[in-house]
Amino acid sequence: MAGQNFSSARRAASHAAAVFVFLLAVFVGTIGSALAHASLTNAAPADGSVLPAAPSALMLSFSEPVSPLVLKLVNPDRSVVVLDRYALRDTTLDIEVPPGLATGTHVLSWRVISEDGHPVGGSVVFSIGAPSRGAPPVADAVTDWSLRTAIWAARTALYVGLFFGVGGAFFLNWLARPSRHGARFIAGALLLGLIATIPALGLQGLDALGLPLGSIMSGTVWRTGYGTSYGATIVIAAAALLAGLLSLISGLFISRALSLIALAGIGLALAASGHASAAHPQWLTRPAVFVHAIGIGFWAGALVPLGLALAARAPGAEPALRRFSRAIPLLLALMVAAGILLAIVQVETPSALLATAYGRVLLVKLALVAALFALAAYNRWRLTTPAEQGNADATRRLARVIAIETLLVLAVLGTAAVWRFTPPPRALALAAAAPAHIHIHTDKAMADLSITPGHVGPVTASIVIMTGDFGPLDAKEVTLVLSNPEAGIEPIRRPAIKPGDGTWRVDGLTIPVGGRWTARIDILVSDFELVKLEETIDIRP
Amino acid sequence: MLRSILSAAALVALGTTAASAHITLENQQAPVGSTYKAVFRVGHGCEGKPTIKVRVQIPEGVIAVKPQPKAGWTLEKIKGKYEKSYDYYGTPTTEGVKEIVWSGGSLADDEYDEFVLRAYLTADLKPDTMLYFPVVQECPDGASERWIEIPAAGKVADDYETPAPGVKLLHKP
Repeated sequence: MAGQNFSSARRAASHAAAVFVFLLAVFVGTIGSALAHASLTNAAPADGSVLPAAPSALMLSFSEPVSPLVLKLVNPDRSVVVLDRYALRDTTLDIEVPPGLATGTHVLSWRVISEDGHPVGGSVVFSIGAPSRGAPPVADAVTDWSLRTAIWAARTALYVGLFFGVGGAFFLNWLARPSRHGARFIAGALLLGLIATIPALGLQGLDALGLPLGSIMSGTVWRTGYGTSYGATIVIAAAALLAGLLSLISGLFISRALSLIALAGIGLALAASGHASAAHPQWLTRPAVFVHAIGIGFWAGALVPLGLALAARAPGAEPALRRFSRAIPLLLALMVAAGILLAIVQVETPSALLATAYGRVLLVKLALVAALFALAAYNRWRLTTPAEQGNADATRRLARVIAIETLLVLAVLGTAAVWRFTPPPRALALAAAAPAHIHIHTDKAMADLSITPGHVGPVTASIVIMTGDFGPLDAKEVTLVLSNPEAGIEPIRRPAIKPGDGTWRVDGLTIPVGGRWTARIDILVSDFELVKLEETIDIRP
Repeated sequence: MLRSILSAAALVALGTTAASAHITLENQQAPVGSTYKAVFRVGHGCEGKPTIKVRVQIPEGVIAVKPQPKAGWTLEKIKGKYEKSYDYYGTPTTEGVKEIVWSGGSLADDEYDEFVLRAYLTADLKPDTMLYFPVVQECPDGASERWIEIPAAGKVADDYETPAPGVKLLHKP
């Protein structure tokens, strides 16, 4: 009878695991299937054109039917006008021009949805009269605080559900038995997290598309939110939260297995998306996030049920405290090691701790964690032993300190949720190092020019040349000429060398100022034939 | 105003120095359907180095090319097929000299010399257009100057840094 019970419980546990794996496979499959998106085939005014007067209309043509999401015009003074008067005919979008366009460079920024439901975006730069000096204007970053607050709240609620809820369910099932103290709080946390997954998905979609809170009802917003890597986090988190809830109500073996799966789900959910999981090397960062998250879940989840049991002087409280105290050093060490590793990968240089928003958030989090550790140490070395021996005073104080610890953990979770808005120094450095790139195509020849990094300072230029009909072009010589007459800079002329990988390269270049440069590539096809390709390229300051 | 005068002055100054370094033709116009004596004037080496080789590409429509030998220089006549058959006083001509090379000499950067050839400008060439003779000037250590840029429609040689020497074609007299 007992054996039968055991095997049926195991069957159920493996069934739950199978469901979990299935859910995982479903979402991975749907995210991977990207179809062909619409692409911009024509624009009027054309990209880079200079018009004598303001255009009478703006026109965008796409390779397939689209529906516009956001159309914005960035003016030379960096102010932004949302273009909401447009007409759609087949694959072409006619946009009404706002009155009184100033002279200078304008950027028409567009984001549309192609038929496959995927949003695509881009921009068309045109100038009225003459181009503005320097790089084309970028819209002043406008922070949508209501959206940010909502995203932060949803994320914090999700963390509460995962760490207090799922972690708590694990504690109840594995360490606290037979005590059920804190079960109601844990169920509440799990429900809160489960509910939070829904707005989290929509809010993620809004943020990805740059739309305000009012657009939350659009189906695309939800599809987009689901399509981001955060969609994976949400799906796994929801599965983990659900498993945690079930583990609170079902029988002996199933609930233990479920709560274990749920605990692993915390790690999987957080490793599926976010800055840290996106960092390289992935084989290191993703497991580190997994371990870090599970460590937090184990610790944070134990706090409330343990505190409540101790405060109520429940009979099972002391053994539970003993088991927790035995397990926590190893988990804490793993969690801290993983955390330090991730911090090093993300922050890269100590100076970035103060210089970047990400670093400052990390400092706040570390300060809170330090306070938390101080309390935990006080608990462990001053209160735990007398409490385990049944000292009433120590037990009462322990319960009180645990309550403070719980609040501190909540503050840490709220702080960590702020990271959603602060790109880590690693990513900032990566963005700064991104190359400036142009493609020039003429009948005679074409060239791809990449200037790395695409900002002022020492750079390397890489050039790939081909004939006008995409055939190989074996040139005798290639010369790069960069000029910026507006900035009063004489042409910088450098012969390119052949590193032997089919490209041409110019090393040791220094670009003195940012802005719009003219890049000319002189290709000596044969002794008597020279092809010159010219195009503008934007160099970041 | 002052700025535009200054920049204009700078342009003129730059323009003249650039022009004097060019390889140019002495006779800047010639009628089609007649014999033309092309005198290539070489006034400079490659950034201070002496000229040791001069290569002239013969454009399509120019036939019966005869270079003038030059003391101290070896002549080479590279022959090939024309794109079509040209009429040379009643004789259809389908192949001939397509490139002439003077080599073996040494013309210092601070010396001047002329390289001469005689050719027949066929009546197939269009009057009122420019005919360009791309020239490559070679110097020791792999240095070279390539006067090979052929101006695009609507542009003139002065718009380029290293234009090919050209002659304006006139109507048949």
